[in-house]
Amino acid sequence: MAEFFIRSLDASTIFTIAALGELIGQRSGILNVGIEGVMLFGATLGFITAKTTGSYLLGFLVGIAVGGLIGLLHGIFSITLGGDQVVSGMGIWILGFGLTTYIGSPYTGPLGMERIPTILGLSPFFFVAIGLTVIIWFILSRTSLGLRIRSVGENPEVAEVSGISVAKTRYLCVVGGGMLMGFAGAIYSLDYNPVWNYNFLLGRGFIALALVFFSMWNPFILLGGSILFGTLWQLSLNPQLFLPGLMSRYIWRTVPFAITLGALLLMSTKWFRTKWGAATPEALGQPYVKD
Amino acid sequence: MYKVLPENIKRGHTILEARGITKRFPGVVANDRIDFKIRLGEIHAVLGENGAGKTTLMKILFGQYQPDEGEIFIGGEEVRFKSPLDAIDLGIGMVHQHRKLIPAHSVIENIILGHPRAGKILNLKRAEQEVLEICEKYGFSLDLNAKVWQLSEGEKQLVEIIKALYRGAEVLILDEPSSALTPVETEKLLISIKAMSEGDLAIVPFITHKLPIVLQISDRVTVLRKGKVVSCIDTSEATEQSLAKEMVGRDVIFRTQRTTVEKGETIIQVNDLSAFSDKGVMALNGVSFSIREGEIFGVAGISGNGQRELVEVLAGLRKPEGGSVSLDEVDITFADSLKRWRLGIGYVPADRIAMGSIADFSLVENVTMNYYFDHEYYRRGVLDTKKIRELTNDIIAEYDVITPNVDIVAKCLSGGNLQKLILARVLSRKPRLVIVDLPTQGLDVGATEFVRNKLIDAKKEGACVLLISEDLDEVLSLSDWVAPIYEGEFMGILPGEDAKRELVGAMMAGIHLDEESA
Ligand SMILES: Nc1ncnc2c1ncn2[C@@H]1O[C@H](COP(=O)(O)OP(=O)(O)O)[C@@H](O)[C@H]1O
Ligand SMILES: [Mg+2]
Repeated sequence: MAEFFIRSLDASTIFTIAALGELIGQRSGILNVGIEGVMLFGATLGFITAKTTGSYLLGFLVGIAVGGLIGLLHGIFSITLGGDQVVSGMGIWILGFGLTTYIGSPYTGPLGMERIPTILGLSPFFFVAIGLTVIIWFILSRTSLGLRIRSVGENPEVAEVSGISVAKTRYLCVVGGGMLMGFAGAIYSLDYNPVWNYNFLLGRGFIALALVFFSMWNPFILLGGSILFGTLWQLSLNPQLFLPGLMSRYIWRTVPFAITLGALLLMSTKWFRTKWGAATPEALGQPYVKD
Repeated sequence: MYKVLPENIKRGHTILEARGITKRFPGVVANDRIDFKIRLGEIHAVLGENGAGKTTLMKILFGQYQPDEGEIFIGGEEVRFKSPLDAIDLGIGMVHQHRKLIPAHSVIENIILGHPRAGKILNLKRAEQEVLEICEKYGFSLDLNAKVWQLSEGEKQLVEIIKALYRGAEVLILDEPSSALTPVETEKLLISIKAMSEGDLAIVPFITHKLPIVLQISDRVTVLRKGKVVSCIDTSEATEQSLAKEMVGRDVIFRTQRTTVEKGETIIQVNDLSAFSDKGVMALNGVSFSIREGEIFGVAGISGNGQRELVEVLAGLRKPEGGSVSLDEVDITFADSLKRWRLGIGYVPADRIAMGSIADFSLVENVTMNYYFDHEYYRRGVLDTKKIRELTNDIIAEYDVITPNVDIVAKCLSGGNLQKLILARVLSRKPRLVIVDLPTQGLDVGATEFVRNKLIDAKKEGACVLLISEDLDEVLSLSDWVAPIYEGEFMGILPGEDAKRELVGAMMAGIHLDEESA
């Protein structure tokens, strides 16, 4: 039982860090639906690096760097070229899926390194995730940079007139966000489940994406949601644990999406909007072209 | 803060000067060799019809556009602005016609956005303190922690004014400051403007309509027409008539005369109608009235007193909570909007950009919106585009809509022309009842006159008109019946000739007719 919860929290760690990466990008107005692809890149290249060099540190660094690089690519397409962000994101996912399968297959199998030590039975990255949540919340709500990010995501034109560079701010966010996604991927392949297999993320990136919408773009709700989703995910792996024979794992896995849909429906009600205002960053997904 | 002005500039001296400013856009010379001076501490109104080039001039002074020719001087020194930031640094502030605020953010966040002294970690306490000092100095009151989306138009504008002042503006440019405000808010704005000019700021409001405001507050006035300065005089030498003539280039008949025509059958009969607002409160509270052929029924009131709900219920866009409506003795209380169009209700919404038209559709397509359901214009489900195109060309000619052709998209039309187009497509259907919501809001004097005359023509042809307006003069000069509305109720229904300004003004503020006469 305790092990079940530990596994759930470990699973939520990956959701949290990846979703935080998506959240800062979205807060600046850039949607990256290719989060699963970015994570696959980070996970695979981080795994290969660690396996060949025997260094966890290098593995993580490569995972983070690759994530940042893909983020940059997404930025060039959607910020500088003003392309459709959904198209670019889908491209990243398909590319990530194909390319990592191709690069990774020779390395199929376990990592074969000593496991990363745990703290109180939990992965140390769980605490990193909590730290990151607090830091990102602080940056977004209490700093000048955060105000700039939020403004750019709400109304780039207004931000620009106020003397803020929309492009710079958005690049910062997509690259930083990509790094977090790559990091989350590397945590998966180096710590959570250090065995390489093709498509081993099984849609965790998409759960992280849903999580951002569920969180109403608030890091703390995101953290809570990710623990909930982590638990549900874990349940989907061992459904017999609580409700034997009730539902197949594939049904269980859709539950986070159903919950997210519910949250989105709630957010779009008149009641919610008159009470809290619109939660979605106003300019999300829209290219900004200066005239 | 940014004290950039030479200290020797005193009240009454020229602080900002533009010489020979020319700006061309494809097909138009928006500014044609404009000379313009602003003195410290003055209120210098800039007047001109839509398209006269006011906004362009202001954007040049604010560094948003670069002039093709001409120079700008501040305190006698030539300056060049590469972007608005350069202008802001030299003490120029601007409040745009369309709000440049982020609705999801708080007032204080909007004010400090992009401010060089905001610091790395936001010190909201200090910023609030400084902003409050500004508010105190000029007598503004505003909740700094409210979210901008919760504010009224007037409050939003105040946020922008404060933002400019917080950035150290000494010349404050206001583009059409009163166009979106209610009369009460306009009054407040005028008081603020006065207070700011006493505090040694130069204020430059740009105004298209509402000439009385110009006369009331400004020290000097510059009139632009077709990109040129036609006059620059002390306001004390101007009258409403003289200004209007200079703006338009011909005499303007100010008060459209109420023409009484033969009244016919009752067209619309409304009994005890009530409706909820979006927020779920009873916004329309049991109104009853009827309008006959040849009558204009004017509802006077400040926005937000149930007008919107009334209009939407009558147009079929909102469900009534109680009461009944009949048109030509047919009950339409619950009829949908299409049925109402077919029965002869024509509706001209208040927001011509969001509700009246589709910005990216061509003029032909926009006209189609009110015709696609007529058998005359489609055959077996396919639209007869040729016929609609002819119709569009006809109504554009008749209504004097200025446009190169009918295939340009609606967003390219100026406000006045767009309103004419919308009015044209509604009136060309020869409706029985025309509902017009704030029909002349934001229009210049020429277009306003045109729209009002068209409404009078409609009633002459036997239609009836429900006119919703915040402009008391408009209601009084056009209506056969005047119904001041307050908190969802009519404070009484007065025949046009008995509706005196003071009386209607008092009723709009919530005094019931019975109390008044008692
Ligand atoms: N960005 C632009 N591109 C092309 N034409 C423009 C642009 N801005 C303004 N114009 C044109 O310049 C003229 C002056 O417009 P504007 O300065 O907005 O007038 P006003 O503010 O007095 O109503 C109009 O004919 C308008 O169509
Ligand atoms: Mg203008």
